[in-house]
Parts: sequence; C-alpha cells; structure tokens
Amino acid sequence: MGTAISWRAPARVVRYLTGRMGMPAAVAVTDAKKIYGSGDAAVAALSGVSAEFEKGKFTAIMGPSGSGKSTLLHCLAGLDTLTSGDVRLGDVSLGSLSDKDLTIVRRQKIGFIFQAFNLIPTLDAHENIVLPLSIAGEKPDQEWYDTVVSTVGLSDRLTHRPSELSGGQQQRVAAARALVSRPEIVFADEPSGNLDSTSGAELLEFMRRAVDEFGQTIVMVTHDAFAASHADRVIFLDDGQIVAEIQNPTADSILDKMKQLGD
Amino acid sequence: MLKVAWSSIRTNKVRLLLTSFAIVIGVAFVAGSFVFTDTISARFDRLFEDIATGVDVVVVPDEPEFGNDFGEVAVSMPESVFDDVAAVDGVRVAAPSVGGIAQLIGSDGEAIGGFGPPTLGFSWTDESDLTPLTIAPENGRPPETADEIVLDVATAEAQGFAIGDSIGILTTGPVTEYELVGLANFGDEDNLAGATLAIFEFSEAQRIFDLEGQISEIAVGAEPGVTSEELADRIQKVVPEGVNSITSSQSTAEQTAEIKEGLGFLTTALLVFAMVAVFVGSFVIYNTFRIIVAQRTRELALLRAIGATGGQVTRMVVLEALIVAIISSAIGVIGGIVLAMLLSAAMSAAGFGLPEGPLTVLPRTVIVGMIVGIVVTVVASVFPAVRAARIPPVAAMRADLARTTRKSLTRRTIAGVVVTGIGALGIFIGLFTDTSEALSILGLGALLVFLGISTLAPIIASPVASFLGWPIKKAYRIAGDLAVQNTQRQPRRTASTASALMIGVALVVFVAVLASSLKGSINETVAESFPSDITASSSNFAIGVSPDFTEELRTEDAIGGVTTLNSGAVRVGENLDTASAIEPDTYEGVLNIPGADPDEIAALGATDGLLVFDDPDDENDGLPLGLEVTLEFPSGSTTTAEVVGTFEDDLAFGAFIMTRDRWFENVDPVADMLVMANAADGSSLDDAVAAAERAAEQFPNVDVQTQSDLIAEFESGINLLLGMFTVLLALAIIIAILGITNTLALSIIERTREIGLLRAVGMSRRQLRRMIRWESVIIAVFGAILGMGTGLVLGWAVVQALDEEGLSTFSVPVGQLVTLVILAALAGIVAAIYPAYEGSRLNILEAISYE
Ligand SMILES: Nc1ncnc2c1ncn2[C@@H]1O[C@H](COP(=O)(O)OP(=O)(O)OP(=O)(O)O)[C@@H](O)[C@H]1O
Ligand SMILES: [Mg+2]
Repeated sequence: MGTAISWRAPARVVRYLTGRMGMPAAVAVTDAKKIYGSGDAAVAALSGVSAEFEKGKFTAIMGPSGSGKSTLLHCLAGLDTLTSGDVRLGDVSLGSLSDKDLTIVRRQKIGFIFQAFNLIPTLDAHENIVLPLSIAGEKPDQEWYDTVVSTVGLSDRLTHRPSELSGGQQQRVAAARALVSRPEIVFADEPSGNLDSTSGAELLEFMRRAVDEFGQTIVMVTHDAFAASHADRVIFLDDGQIVAEIQNPTADSILDKMKQLGD
Repeated sequence: MLKVAWSSIRTNKVRLLLTSFAIVIGVAFVAGSFVFTDTISARFDRLFEDIATGVDVVVVPDEPEFGNDFGEVAVSMPESVFDDVAAVDGVRVAAPSVGGIAQLIGSDGEAIGGFGPPTLGFSWTDESDLTPLTIAPENGRPPETADEIVLDVATAEAQGFAIGDSIGILTTGPVTEYELVGLANFGDEDNLAGATLAIFEFSEAQRIFDLEGQISEIAVGAEPGVTSEELADRIQKVVPEGVNSITSSQSTAEQTAEIKEGLGFLTTALLVFAMVAVFVGSFVIYNTFRIIVAQRTRELALLRAIGATGGQVTRMVVLEALIVAIISSAIGVIGGIVLAMLLSAAMSAAGFGLPEGPLTVLPRTVIVGMIVGIVVTVVASVFPAVRAARIPPVAAMRADLARTTRKSLTRRTIAGVVVTGIGALGIFIGLFTDTSEALSILGLGALLVFLGISTLAPIIASPVASFLGWPIKKAYRIAGDLAVQNTQRQPRRTASTASALMIGVALVVFVAVLASSLKGSINETVAESFPSDITASSSNFAIGVSPDFTEELRTEDAIGGVTTLNSGAVRVGENLDTASAIEPDTYEGVLNIPGADPDEIAALGATDGLLVFDDPDDENDGLPLGLEVTLEFPSGSTTTAEVVGTFEDDLAFGAFIMTRDRWFENVDPVADMLVMANAADGSSLDDAVAAAERAAEQFPNVDVQTQSDLIAEFESGINLLLGMFTVLLALAIIIAILGITNTLALSIIERTREIGLLRAVGMSRRQLRRMIRWESVIIAVFGAILGMGTGLVLGWAVVQALDEEGLSTFSVPVGQLVTLVILAALAGIVAAIYPAYEGSRLNILEAISYE
C-alpha cells in the first residue's frame, strides 16, 4: 500500500488548498483524446476534452449517441486509459498509476452506478452494498450505512437477492453501494436508462439528496433531459468535444439547448 | 444449422479443446489396447512362423489339463516314439528335442531371472531345417560334448559372456559348469521375447532335465508331395496315447494363442482403464455441453423465436458434439498408436523383449475407437441438447427465464437412490454369485453406483460447500465468500464436475483399501502360520529348493528346527483345489497349522493320511473323517488318502494337507517350494541368517529371508500393483481435473459481467484469482470426498465378499486417504490456474459491456 500513502498525503493538502480557494475540483480532465483503432480505421471517441468536476456538485453529461459520453466517463473513472491528455483525481494523475494502484483508487475513491447489471447475483442487497468495503477488508461505518440505506429506502429489503428485487430497487442498491464507502466521486452511466419514469425519478431524487445532504460529487451520463435537470450543471458533448454547457438547468432549458445544438 | 453449429465450435475453441481432450484420452486407451495386443500377436505369429519354417509336423505330448500356468510341469514322451515317427512313410527328416528350465548364473554369481521372462534350456539338433536356432559363422559352433553350451546372443551380450567363458547352469541340482562354445540366434532375433536360452548337447540335456530316455518334442519335415495335414494324420496313428501329432501351423497358432492369453490380463486391464477414462470423459463432455447450452440460452431462444423448431435446436447441439467427436476420436486413435508404441518400448525396457516388427493397426481398431468416441460424446450431449430444445422463445428477451428449469428434489432423490440401489445390487450379484458374467455385472453395478451418486450429489453440494468453505471464508473474507457462493449457485454443475473426479478417486481408494486389507491379511497369515525365523525359497518358481540345501541347513549349529512346505494345484473329481505338503516330524515350532491338533498332525504322519480344510465359520462343510479322497496332480498321477483330521487356514495351505513323502511320489523333480527354519536356542537371528546364507552359497537360486523380509516382499509386490493401478487411474483423475478447469473457464465466461463489476468496484486481480482458485478447490475436495466415501464402501463390500477367500482384515489406509484429499485440493489449485488467469485478465470495460 506504499503507493496509496505516497499520494494520499499531498492529495489532502491540495484538497485543503482548493477548498480554501472556493473552487474545489474533485476530478479534472485536460485535453483528453481517445482514439480507437489505428490508421484508416481510427475513430476519435474524444478529441480534446478539458473539464473540471467540482466537489459537491452534480454534473450531467449529454450528447447524441456515439458522441463519446461513456468513453469520457470511463476514462474519468480509471476504467479506461486516454490516448493522450490527463485525468487528475484530486492530486493524482490516473495515467501514471499501475493497474494495481488504479484498482485501489477505484476501491477507495470512486463509486459506480451502471445502466444495468450492477449487482452480484449471489450476494444479497446488504452484501452488495458493502461489497467495496468487503473487498478492501474494511468494516462499514454503521451510522453512515444506516443513513444511506434509509435514504435509498431499502431498510426492509436488505436480505433479498438481486433476483428478488425490482429493477428500480436494484439500481437503488447500486446507488447505496456507490455511496457507502464515501467515495470522492460517483460516476453513473445512464443509471435510470432502464427504469420506468417513477423508479427513475426516485433514483434521481436520491442522487440529488446525496449531493445536497452529504456533499457527494456525482457525474452522470444521460440521454434524458428530465434526468439531466436534476444536475447542477450539464455538459454537452458532440463528436468527442464539449460543445456547450448550462448551469442550474431545467428540463426546458436543456431541451432548448439540445434543439439549438441539433440545428 | 450446420453453419450455426460450426461457427459455435469456432467461437468455443478452448472449451471444446478441453472437452475433446477427455475424448482423446479415452479413445487413445481403447485404440492403444487393441494396437498393442494386435501388434504383439502379429509379431509372435511371424516369429513362430519363422521358427517353424521347414517344420511340417510337430509331435508333442499332451499338456497337463490343469496347474501348469507357468509351465511348472515338464511333459515328455519315451525316446522310442522318435524311431516310430521317423519310420512313417512321407517323413523326410525328423529331429527330437529336449527342453526344460535352466537358470544361468550371472557374472555376479547370482542366478539370472526367475520371476521375469522364462529361463529356457534346449537340446541342440544338427537338422538345421528343423530348428529355429542358428549359429552364425563368427559366433562359434554348436555344443558337441556334455560340458559345452551355447547361449542366445542377447543374453550373452547382456551378461558380457564371451566364447570360451565358463558358465554356471542351475537346474534342480547343484550348479554345473559349462564352456561357452557358441552364440545362437532364435530365428531372426537375438533373443526369444526376453527369455534366456541355454543350449546343450542332446544327451546332456536329457541328463540335466532328468529326462533320460525321454524327449520333449519331435519336429518333422515332410517329403515333397505330402501335405502337413496328411503327414500329421499318418504320424498320429503310430504314436502312443497322450502324444499328439499336429501340423506346425496349428502349433504356431496354439503358441500365439497362448501368448495372447498370457497378455490377456494386460489387455483387459488396459480396456478397463480405457472404459474408466471414457466414462469420466463423458461427465466432462456432458458438463461442457450443458454449460454451453446454458450460456447460449439467448441465442438458442432467438433461433426458436425466428422459427427454428425444438428438434432443430437439439439437432444443432448434437451436430456440434458430433463434429467435436469425430475430430477428437481421430486424434485419439492416433494417440492410441503412440500409446502402443510407448507400451512396447516400456515392455522392452522391463526386459520382456518383443520381437521386432511394425505396429499392427487393424481396421477394427480404428472403427471401434471412432465408434466409442463418437457414441460417448453424442450420448453425453443428448441431455443438454434436449434441454436446449425446451428453452422457450421468450428467453431471448428475458435472461432470467433461462435458469428456471429446476427439477424437484424429491424426484432427483428417488432417481438417485434407485440407480444407486440397482448398482449396489449389481455389485452384490457380481461379488457373491458364481455367474460367468460376474465381472461385467460388477463393473456395470459400479457404473450405476457412480451415476446414482452423481445424481444425488447436487443435493448435498451446497451444504458440503458451506462446510468446506467455512475456513476459506474465515481466511479470505469476501473472496472466500464469493468462492463458496459460486460453488453453490449451480449445485448441479458443481456436483457433476466433482462427480468426474469422484470416479477416479473412488477407484484409487478402492484399490488402496483392497491392497491395505490384503497386506493386513497376509501379515496375519504369515505371523500365524509361518512363525519361523527364516524362510528359504527359490528365485525360480520352476526349479525349487534342492533337498541338499535343506540337509546342509540342518547341519548348521545356529539353526534349530527346519521343515519344508510345498503346495500346488490338485484336482478332486472336477474341482480344482490347492493342496499342501508338510513334514509331520519336523514342523513343530517352525510351521503353524491353525485348527489342527498336534495328534491330528501326528496321525497325518503315522497313517500318511490327509488333513482337510474345515471352515470355522461354516458348520456343514468339510469332509468326514475316514473318507478316502483321491487327488489328481497336474502331471496326471493320482493318489488316494484317508482323511485323518482338519485345519482352518486355507489361505496358507489350501484345501488339503498331505505328507511331503506323498507329495513327491506325485511331483517331479524333488525340490521344495519353501524351507523354513528357526534360530537354534541361544543363537541370535543374525547368526541364524548368516548360517542359512552359508548353506545357500552353493545354491545360487536359493533366497534366504527373515520373516520381516518375507512380509516386506509380499508387501512390495502389492505396492507395485497398487502403484500401477494408481498411475493408470491417475489418468482418469487428470481428465476430471481438466473437467474442473473446463467448468471454471466456462463459468468465468458466463460471469464475465460480474467479474467486470467486481473489478470495477475495486477487487484486485489477485483477489479475483483467489476467488476462482478456492472455488476450484472446493469442487475438487467435494469430488474427492464423494470418491472416498464411495471407494471405502466398495472396498468394504469387496473385502467382505473375499472373506471366504482368506481376506480376513478390512484395513483403511488413513494416511493415503488424507494424502489423497490434500492432493485433490492441490489439483483444484492447478485446475484453477488457467481460468483464474483468464478471469483476472478480463478487460473491465469489455466485461461490463459484455452481452
Ligand atoms: N472499444 C471501442 N472500439 C472502437 N470504437 C469504439 C469503442 N468504444 C467506443 N467506440 C467508438 O467511440 C465513439 C464514442 O463511443 P461512446 O460509447 O463513448 O459513445 P456514447 O456517447 O456513450 O454513445 P451512447 O449514447 O450510444 O452510449 C463511438 O463512435 C464508438 O463507436
Ligand atoms: Mg454510452
């Protein structure tokens, strides 16, 4: 764990300083390029993206299919590596980390909510929620765990297996899991994409509360203007580049922007 | 459909490769057994044909009807038969010969061979047409006087003998020295299948083989225009009863048949192992196809949704199996040929030189090998294929429908218990009844027991996994926990993977229990019936211990009581039995005859009567005192004696005990099987052993052993057998381990997304590997435990059944069993290497987006 300690200390200092300056950035990406394939077949999924994701803020990423949203999210989360450019999580440049260190970063600093298949079928809801902690060999903070579980409204479902939960409940379990280890940042790729509007709304409400009440940082990819309207900020991607941005969006302002971009 | 099947094979290369390995090994064993046997008989056929060139008719005395498995009984006919044969019209040339057992004294002073290939002696004949023996000009000349000898080229080479050397030869009497005057080839070979050949001048051969005035065989060449059959008929008319005139091709066929029969046990053993391998392989195949079908549920459902019938889906899966089967059976047949080559090389290395020649691959070998491979694979794939047809088309849309076919536990229990019960019954019938098919019924019973237990295994798979997994969970937390749960999520898969291992382990345990019980029983018998300090026996079963040695031994001061024991086959009416001969005057304190009173033994000596076996567990057997019993010996001589008492140990003494005098009235030559002696009062065992060895100095074939040597020798014989079985069964275990690898590799593919998720939320590669490894270990140990249970029960049943035959102790080799479990766990670790590597290498992103 030597590496973990070596980067953790400066990170604390940076966090302290950035906090002082009033512009805390949980994750920052500079001039990110991601090219798949080579030669004629090369596809630029990201062609120079720079952005900062502030601490305690809920950011949505939107854009047409194939615009590079998922790619960006994966690179931010350390699941994928950039062709060029840099991702910094706190003070750490993810590009410089080995697979082993990346794994530890993910375990300690990052939470995930995928579109589907978020849970291990053999584990019950409780076990799934504490999975990142179990992997790290840590005990959950009981108070925080209770808070999270009651916030997602799963207190009476904890012993159920994923197959015994509805799709919405499964996504809420995934959200609880993403929060329980108090990660620096949570990434979500179309978390409500598979849910009906009521379940989707419940999940988004919960994510909003996590930001408001616990100061959680969230970055979410979505297609849905209603979903994006829960965020503090919306970033629009097209062809691997950021083409627009709205602060404090509403569903209407997002739809207008999308229309405008489509023209 | 062929296209779909083929593309599925191409995309599933690795798993099918592992599957096909199971088939390849099974088929290789089947084909190898055939190639090996065919090759041997073809080569011997040729050898005997070579030998018989020029010989048209062979005149030989009848073989004994029983008790001559090792050629112990030398048969002969009067010399006068030769003159009668030579005078028959149509005989161009005829030559008599004499043969027997002659052991060479090696350069180290010890007798060569004995328990291995035969040590043969022959008389020389100048009729070069009629003898397979040739002496090349550079290799000297034939024996011309009584003190000259010729050896086969190979033996002389092996021992470093050169022409002019003095060679010691041992027959029944003391060693005789000869001068080596020539080296002979046997046909084209340097050697006759590893046997040592000593060739003497004719009347010297008669003398040393105790056949004065007798001959063993007459070779006859016909005059042109007379057929062998005709001549054989003519000669048959002039020879006395008990002598046969047969054509040389008939004789060749008989000898080849004999060799084949001698190798029969090897062929049977190989085929049994082939069957075990095939059976275990079928589990692996079944499992693979089941998992492949499960994984392709969506694809198959889609095919159904777009209009494929259930039958088409089934056919597609079977077709896939068929393609795999054909390819791997073909590889298996080739593997079998290689296996046969290795086997004959191994036999040569062990000293059983086979004649040179090409391998014989008969069409039958290829056909049977292919059929076995194809049938087993296709049959094993039928169940998964039928299940594939039951996948509802909606499963294409809803993945959760795929795994709902869970049959009721009650039905499974009933089916498992019934099949196991029928199997147990089969074993029982095989063991306790005297049908000619006993062995097949036994094998079939064992097969059903294995099937039954593998049917029941899923029921206990989950609890057993929890139990085995408890320490793993404690030690490795989440990785251990997930490992245990993974083995429990599909108990049937876990169970059938483990069952493949169960079979091999059960057989190993069974053999180990049998061996251990046998050792226990032998120890008991030796300790009880052979309490003597020292035992002397011959290193050559066909020669025996010279009575001169016994006399010599009796003169040693350090030696107390000395007595002899002989035993062999006898026939009473139609029944074959074993009889023994003791010396009632000297046996006391040296030999113990359980259940026989001293006065009964005294009566045996006084009346020259007979003691009969009386089973202490059976009230109604045993012959009444005073009855006259007629015993027939292999040589044909008969003797009648009165029953004067009983004894209770049939393992050591057989059914009858008579006096040594009576024995040697019927058995020729006078040489004892065992001589037993005690240290004299006041002499130490070491002194006694030294004295016995001194007495044995002039008798190179006599081995002196202490009681513990004797037990150790028995045990090492058993251990050798046990080792051989274990090595062969290890193959079945290797197949099963490949099965575990296969199942795990397939499960990993199935759980790709799950693994991606675990990695995404922070599980390290190492933890992942650990998880897969422990899953594997649990499956392996589960299989080992199942196997152990089954093997122990089978072993116990067989020991009970053989109680009658003298297997009195049931002994469990605990140490070996513990080792086996540890090995199984290690095997589990090995089996997990590849899947764990694959799993930990999965790209997280691809895993997450894996469909
Ligand atoms: N592994 C890959 N190999 C090659 N090209 C890829 C790969 N992954 C993504 N791409 C390409 O990169 C571009 C961006 O893909 P990405 O998945 O980021 O889009 P997205 O915005 O998430 O789309 P969607 O809304 O459909 O999820 C697309 O053109 C895609 O074809
Ligand atoms: Mg996407």
